[in-house]
Amino acid sequence: MAKINPTSPRTPKNKSPNIDAGANGGSSNDILEIVSRVTTGLEEENTGLDSITSETNELASSLKETATQAASVAASSEEMASSANEIAASVEQVTANVTQVATSATQTTVSVKELASSIKNVAASAQEMATSGQEIRTAMEEVTSSVKSVRRDTDDLASSIAENAAAIEEMGQSIKNVSRSSEDLAVAAEETSSSINEMAASIEEVGGMSETLSTSVEETATSIEELARSIQSVAQNSETIKQVSADAATNAAQMEQASRSVNGLVKRTEDIAVRVSRQAEEGGQTIQKSIEGIAKVAGTMTQSTTVMRELNKRTRDISGIVSTIEVITERTNLLSLNASIEAARAGEAGRGFAVVAEEIRNLADRCAKATAEIVEIVRGLEDATKEATDVANSGARIAEESSQLSQAGLTGLKTILTGITESSSLVSQISRASDEQIVAVRKVNDSISTVTGRAREIAVSTSEQAKGAQQIVQAAAQMRKGAKEVSQANNEQAKAAREVIKAAQTTTSVAAQVRKAMTEQANGATQIVQAIDSMRKGATGTARSLAEQSIAIEQVAKETDRLITQFTGLTKAMIEQAKNSQEITAATSDLDQQTREASRAMKEQVVSFKQLTEGSANVTKQVKLIAAANLENSRSTMTILKRIQEVRDVSKQNGEAAKGIERILEKTSARAASPKSRKGSRNGGASNPDRGASA
Amino acid sequence: MNAKTESYVLFELAGSVYGIPSVAVKHIEMFEHVTLVPNANPAIDGVVFSRGQVIPALNLRVRFGFPREKNSLRTRIVFATVHNRTVGLIVDTAREFQNLPTESIGPIEGTLTGINGKYLKAVTKVGGRLVLILDLEGVLNVDDVQLPPETETTPTEQLTT
Repeated sequence: MAKINPTSPRTPKNKSPNIDAGANGGSSNDILEIVSRVTTGLEEENTGLDSITSETNELASSLKETATQAASVAASSEEMASSANEIAASVEQVTANVTQVATSATQTTVSVKELASSIKNVAASAQEMATSGQEIRTAMEEVTSSVKSVRRDTDDLASSIAENAAAIEEMGQSIKNVSRSSEDLAVAAEETSSSINEMAASIEEVGGMSETLSTSVEETATSIEELARSIQSVAQNSETIKQVSADAATNAAQMEQASRSVNGLVKRTEDIAVRVSRQAEEGGQTIQKSIEGIAKVAGTMTQSTTVMRELNKRTRDISGIVSTIEVITERTNLLSLNASIEAARAGEAGRGFAVVAEEIRNLADRCAKATAEIVEIVRGLEDATKEATDVANSGARIAEESSQLSQAGLTGLKTILTGITESSSLVSQISRASDEQIVAVRKVNDSISTVTGRAREIAVSTSEQAKGAQQIVQAAAQMRKGAKEVSQANNEQAKAAREVIKAAQTTTSVAAQVRKAMTEQANGATQIVQAIDSMRKGATGTARSLAEQSIAIEQVAKETDRLITQFTGLTKAMIEQAKNSQEITAATSDLDQQTREASRAMKEQVVSFKQLTEGSANVTKQVKLIAAANLENSRSTMTILKRIQEVRDVSKQNGEAAKGIERILEKTSARAASPKSRKGSRNGGASNPDRGASA
Repeated sequence: MNAKTESYVLFELAGSVYGIPSVAVKHIEMFEHVTLVPNANPAIDGVVFSRGQVIPALNLRVRFGFPREKNSLRTRIVFATVHNRTVGLIVDTAREFQNLPTESIGPIEGTLTGINGKYLKAVTKVGGRLVLILDLEGVLNVDDVQLPPETETTPTEQLTT
């Protein structure tokens, strides 16, 4: 327990931030580990509780004893108070004895101061206190015997004083113890309260953290599910990518083929374009030549037309000449005819002349005939020339037209040639582009095949991922369930812790009240002690025994403190105890007053004792009176014992209360055991080591 | 020559060949100019001035009832004298002089008379061609022909000549 306590409240704080999406499986394992550790802690705690219970029982019994002692002390103190008055009265008569008593009291004071200092560190054990009381009593007896040795007559008185002093001392010590224990109780209660608060806070924190954890687990689970879904979609996508890239690969292959065929076509087109261009150039040259030929023809036609015109003119000239010849021929004929007529008139004489005329007329006729033929020929020539001229004119016209047409054809051919040149350059560009295309397509093909391979790998790894994600999702679901359970357990813990806090708060407040009262008591007790100190003489043995007692009481105190801190129910019992203590205090205050008065009386006694030395004669009588007073003292001691009995009853009740607390503890432990939480069990033990240290 | 021959001047008119005795022909001229005379016979184209005489020009085509023909280089005016009266005959052309046997100039058959017996004396053949010999007196009959007043012209021509 002591090992777990300081570390365990911090453990959830340390744990919770570590709980993230990645470490879910680990954290649940941690939780399980912690729960198991808590379970073992609870078991340890149960055993501790058992031991505490037994210790408490022991304490109860010791308390009972203490109560009886206290009761007896109280009774004796009360009795002593009354007897002290009487003693004070009697002391006046026994001055010499009192002087010694005073010195012994001084010694006692010293020893009691030492005892007080030792008691400050030690809680009183009732049993040890009893034994120490007995030792005190024996010391008192020694004192009494020493007093007896000084004054035999004052033996009884001394013993009674010693008894009274012891009783008072015991009372004071018990009061101091009670005060101490109540202080410790208060401190322990405060500590408990604070530790419970811390615990509660830590439980709240743990609760909050487990809430956060559960939400974060929820988020993680959802995000894991989303991740799984996205991984699945990625798997599907990568499958699609695989198919698409395969399609793309086939497409690219087709594209490559297509671009290759395009390239071939382009090359052929280029060749054709070159050939066409050459032919067009040749055609252009031919047309140029024909244009030149046509131009020549046109020139020739023009020339022939002019020649024809000339010919026409000449023919007309010939016609004119021929008509002249005709006229001449006609005249010749006419002349010869007239000559024939004249010759016929001349008769025989004109016969020769008539023959000549005849001859001339024949020539003229022949000439006329030839002329007619010439006329005919010239006429035909004229017609032919006219036709030739017409033909030449039309030929010239046709030549002109064909020249124009050829020119148009030439320009057309030139246009064709430029078009062919352009298309040829375009085709060469296309050829270059298609060459580049083929290279690019090959690259695309390569990259597509790489992509296909990658996509296949991705598909494989993604499907594996999807499987892993599915497992993660399942683990996350389990984690979520675990987180929910942890959260519920934490809530229950928090509820229990809240109740514990309430109880601890009440304990703290009550303990504070007790402390206050106890402080007052302690003051009173100190004063009593001071008074008793003077009374104590040779009580060194008592101190020793008291030291032992104090050790025993310390143990008891430890156990008591543990009990107090562990069980909130103790508070009620303590309240009752406090009440009783208050009563004791009240009684002790009376005692105090009386003791003060006794002190004063003692001082007077010192004076009186001097007087007593002077007048010891009266001692005997007074001793008798003291004996009577002792009887009263014994009576009052009885009453003190009764009161102590009452205190014992109260202790019994405390024990019952402790049992009730034990039961509650068992329940708590049972509750703590059932949700496997460590929180409830831990808070009980938290104060224990502190208590031990303070003790 | 033993046989009696008579010389004829042959001329053409509307595709036919006519002949007149060369004795009656003073001379032949080319058709050059005809001076028109008022109120003349339709067959008389006008008067021509030849060898110092004003001679009436008779268009034989019109006289024989043939259609008129435009004058050409071949158109001739044959000056013939009948009963001391000279008349210029406008013919298509006149370019032959033939000595024809007298017996070949026979009278026109009865059948032919019915056609144009008034102006034709005979019809003969020369080298396969039919030649119509004109009866000049008949052709030059003033009343019939309604010649322009020769008397009026003659004195003036005579005067000028």
